[in-house]
This record gives sequence, structure tokens and C-alpha cells, in this order.
Amino acid sequence: MADTAPVSQKTPVTVLTGYLGAGKTTLLNRILSENHGQKYAVIVNEFGEIGIDNDLIVGADEEVFEMNNGCVCCTVRGDLIRILSNLLKRKGRFDAIIVETTGLADPGPVAQTFFVDEDVKAKTYLDSVTALVDAKHFDQALAADRVVKEQIAFADHIILNKTDLVDGDTLNQIEARLKGLNPLASIQRAERSGVDIQSLLNQHRFDLEKMDSVANHHDHGPDCADDCGHDHAHDHYHHDHGHDHDHVHDEHCGHDHSHDHHNHDHINPIHDTEITSVSFSTDKPINGVAFTRWLDKLLAEKGQDILRAKGILNIKDEDRRLVFQAVHMILEGDLQKPWGENEPRLSRAVFIGRHLDEAALRTGFNACIEK
Amino acid sequence: MPFAFEKNYGDYIVAALFDSADEPVVAIADGRVAFPDAGAEFAAHPDAGILSAAIHPSGVGLITGGDDGRIVWTTKEAGPVEISAHKGAWLDVLAVSEASNLVAAGSGKTVYLHDLVKKDAPKVLEHPSSVSGLTFDSKGRKLYASSYGGAYVWFARLAQQKPSLLKWAGSHTNIAISPDDKFLITAMQDNALHGWRLADSKDMRMGGYPSKIKSLDFFAKGKLLATSGANGAVVWPFLKANGPMGENASEIAADESSLVTVVSGASEDTILSAGLDDGRVWLAELKSTAQEWIKREKGAAISALAMSGEANRILIGDEDGSVYIYEA
Repeated sequence: MADTAPVSQKTPVTVLTGYLGAGKTTLLNRILSENHGQKYAVIVNEFGEIGIDNDLIVGADEEVFEMNNGCVCCTVRGDLIRILSNLLKRKGRFDAIIVETTGLADPGPVAQTFFVDEDVKAKTYLDSVTALVDAKHFDQALAADRVVKEQIAFADHIILNKTDLVDGDTLNQIEARLKGLNPLASIQRAERSGVDIQSLLNQHRFDLEKMDSVANHHDHGPDCADDCGHDHAHDHYHHDHGHDHDHVHDEHCGHDHSHDHHNHDHINPIHDTEITSVSFSTDKPINGVAFTRWLDKLLAEKGQDILRAKGILNIKDEDRRLVFQAVHMILEGDLQKPWGENEPRLSRAVFIGRHLDEAALRTGFNACIEK
Repeated sequence: MPFAFEKNYGDYIVAALFDSADEPVVAIADGRVAFPDAGAEFAAHPDAGILSAAIHPSGVGLITGGDDGRIVWTTKEAGPVEISAHKGAWLDVLAVSEASNLVAAGSGKTVYLHDLVKKDAPKVLEHPSSVSGLTFDSKGRKLYASSYGGAYVWFARLAQQKPSLLKWAGSHTNIAISPDDKFLITAMQDNALHGWRLADSKDMRMGGYPSKIKSLDFFAKGKLLATSGANGAVVWPFLKANGPMGENASEIAADESSLVTVVSGASEDTILSAGLDDGRVWLAELKSTAQEWIKREKGAAISALAMSGEANRILIGDEDGSVYIYEA
């Protein structure tokens, strides 16, 4: 009902993450002081840091709430739901919303808020999760806190900041490692958070309709567990097959939930396992039913460890591309625009997560390829 | 449909209420308070917004909480008067007690409790998590605050205290108490109600809603609880000692094409009205099952609704700023 409102009528929200000292406050101050003709409401975690006087700066508490739907990784930002619903009563005062998270915050609950809460979903859309990375202190930050990897893994846009403080070789190396951790994100270099504001906001990075491509990189860095499973044999079968993919929207919450476990520290008890990414591709058509079934099962069982997943699939006997994305167990998928006449119908899927079993994922993906 | 009053105020209607003299008053998101009968309008929160509102404990005029951190009392005679200011606070929850002349306003984890008779500095009540709703018991002795993990219970007059917690896992987003003080009900993020029988803290779960429950109203002498969040208004019986335990709810006037966003019942009668997300409003007499559309034209979602004490007028506000008064 409500969430069928076209994206154009919804308010875009950009989530800004990044470790301590990465340059978030500098970037926010730039966004608020630059005359770009747009009005922003900014939700910050510490009031005092922003040097600009603006009545649309709102303080937040970063309260992470578990849902009672039995899904332990379906955590949301409870304070954010309240702030957004109040802000949206004053729609005329701003064009877009920016949410800053603390340097130590896991970006998962913020992102999930935009998919789990029905009101937030009806009136806003998650435009982008942008992570700022400090080029000078990249290794120290990675060593200091696993949350840095999670921030990188969750992002769809990375600003590699403070590039003036390191040499070109180091920058290339860091960029390669960022791509290894997260092949889905675009990377932009900056000095003193100096990026073109227009390139940052209104990017529709979570919009299935605007997802034309899923990055398919061959640029392996040391953090990369990627292996692109290309298969160039052509193989065509035709039989009638009804695909029921009009609107896949599942919240995979099959867990049993007891009402006395709400005191635990963190959504995932396994903290120190490396985050990796794996991607698969094939130019043979995919069996849509088999793929949906596999993905459902995968997210239900491993969703806690899968931070992000994205894919564009060539479904057998279907002219439109099936596009999906997942944040932990929350999956959204839809049939989108048709493949172009001369466009190679390449199916691609990328998974970013903790201790991914690459061999098992590959077997699962390959089993969905039409024989 | 002819309304006794119809006007667009140009911004989201946050609250629409009747005061004790059945004078309608509305709170507008852009900081104004308007009295439709008197044709009066005041900038209660200039250059700011109203987040919460309740009738003043005296029964005259409206108390509002703003995103400017101010608590303001507006009457049609005197206009706005500031009760207190808390810099940087978004006062998005508010409750008053007629019996004890108290006003509680919350921002995030903090609740400011004002005594309008003593006019001393407000008590500051801190919670572990954001407060989503406040309600006093009928005597104004206790203050209940819904939050993450349950509802906190404060003694309104005690200077130093730790609150007790009525515990239930999950995020509680709204709160109401039965007029006989026997049952406390919260709405939950997970499209359900939770209830406690206050005598023994026994839990009740009331589920089956397709969407979030944003409006709770005890009516018909406190014997019925009307709730939004479904295709019809969901009404729970509080006729027996166990309240709704073991009882079924009735869904009134369910319409597949829309969801009820706000409900308001007659305090003394089994008369109920409901505003829908498609802008329509109905009025029903539950005993005779008679139902009529008092606003049949679709439009912006209804955001505020109130029935006068005499149950002869209904005040309607929507998300686009339109206000209507229906007279029976």
C-alpha cells in the first residue's frame, strides 16, 4: 500500500559512516555551508561538532533495537525511526536528510531501518551509504577496530580522504584493498573531504530500478577472496516456465525468539573473522525459481554473516533483468527493465560478509545455472 | 459533504483536540496553534515545529512541545505563554494530569516533569532508552513511560527515585492506561499491543495487526479500547476483571483498500470514529452497528481526530493541513 509511492515523492537519505578522524564532520560542515541550492536536515550523534548554526540539525542517540519478529540480525535504530517520523511532518523545510553515525557504529542497523520500518520505508528511501576512509591512518584503523571493515563492507560509495598525506603508490594499494573488501562500492579520492556535493547526494544507490550494473572487478587486492566464475560456453534451452518474481520482498526471519535475550552485547558474537567478498558471473541463463530458493535459504541460514549482497540476473525465458539486493537477512528483488538488444546477458552476483564459504557459495550459484 | 468548518492551514496537523468546554483546538507542524471556532491563530513556536500536544490540566487551551525545546500553553484569550524551555530538546511526547496539575514532556531519554501549581524547577527523569509515550494514572500519582524493553513507572511526587520497569522485550512505541487504572497498554514496533494487568503485572499480548498501531483510545466509560493499525478499527473489550485476556477483538468497518490511522471514541458512549490513510473518516454506533461516512472524499491521510465531550462534534485534521469539523 504505502510503500508503492514512487521514489520521487520520497525523501532521500544519505548515511555517512567512517572511523574516528576520517573527516565526517569536515564533510558535514562543507555540505551545510556550501551554497548548492539544496536544504538538508542532518541527524548527528554529537551536537557540538558541527560548526554551522542550523535549525535542522538534530541530535540522535544511536539506540539499536532488536525486533520481536524472531530475527536476531533485524536490528534497527529506534531513535532514528522517531526522529525521521517527526522530521517528515515538516517536509517543506528540507529536500534531503543526512544521517551521520559515530565512528564506532556498525552501519547495519541504520541501513536496516530503511527496509524494516514501514513508515520510514513509505516516506523515505536510502539513497546511499557513504563511508569516509582516512588514507593516512588506514592500517591503524583497520587494526584497531573491526567496525572499520564493516563500514567499508556496507558502503556503496567510499571517499578515500586525506590523499594529500600519502604517496600515489600507497593510495593505489589502499584502493585495491578497498575494492577487494567491497567490489560493489564506487571509490572517490579527496583531500580534506573536498568532494563535489552533487556527486554525493541523490545517487539512488539502493534503488533497484537504477541498478544497471554490479561492479565486476578483476582488480584483486590483498583482502580479496574474489574469484569471478566466468563460464563462456553458450548453451540455449527453451521451455515454458512461469516466473513469479514480480515483487520479491522477504524478511527472512525464521528464528525462534525468546523474550529474555535482549541484553546481549552485539548482534554477532563472532567478531574477528575477516570480512571478504566473493562474486560470481555467468553468461548462461539462470533458473529463477532455483536461484530464489537458494538465496532465500542462504540468507535465512547465513544472513547474520552476509553484510551485503547484490546481483543482476539473466533469467531463462525472461526479457527483463531480475535485480536483487540484501542487507543481512532482508532481501529485496524485482524484475526491472529489459535487457538491451545487443547487450550481453551476463548474470552477476556479489556477496560481502564474514567467513564466507566461497566453495559452497559457488556450488550453490552454479546449481542455479540452466543446464 | 457539508462541514460546519473547513480550512486548510497549509502544514501537517499534529493534533486536534477539544478542551473541557468543547472548544476545538489544533496544533500545526509549523508551530501554530489555531482555535477554529474563534477564528484565532497563534505562533506558539515561532520558526519551529510542534511535535506533541495535550489539553492543559485546567481544561482550557493547549499545551504543546516543540522542536525548539519549549513547552508552551496557548489559550484563545491570552495567546501563547511559555511554561519552560530546554535547549536542543525535541519534545515529542507529552502527557498531562488534570488531577494533579502535572505536565510531563519527553525528549529522547529525558522526561521533564512540571508542577503547574508549585511552578518550581521541573524534575528531570532519565531513562536508559528513548521515551516514546507518556501517560499519568487517573489521580496523577504515577507516570508511565513506554520505551525500549517495556514501560517505566515513576511516582510523580517523589523527589529522588529509581523507576520500576514493567518488562517486555522489544520496542514499545506508544502507551495508554485504562481510566480505572487497572490496565496499561503499549503499542509495539512489531505491529502488536502489549498489556499489563497492573495489580499483578500479568502480561497480555494482543496481536494480529497488519501495520503499526499509532492511535489508542479508551472510550465508552473505559470499557472499550479502540486502536488503529488495521483495515478497520480494532476494538478490545475491558468489560471483565481480566480485561481483554481470553477475549476476542472486533474489527469495525474493515475496508480492504485502506488502513485506519487514528481513532477517537465518545468518552461515555459506544460511539466511535476512525480516520483512514486515504483521507476518509467514518462514524459508528457500535450497539446498533450503524456506520456512516462523515468524510467520504479521499485525500491526504488523516493525522488527527477528536470527538467532543458531548459526542456531537468531530474534529478532523490531515497530513496536508486541512481541518474539518463535522456536526451531528
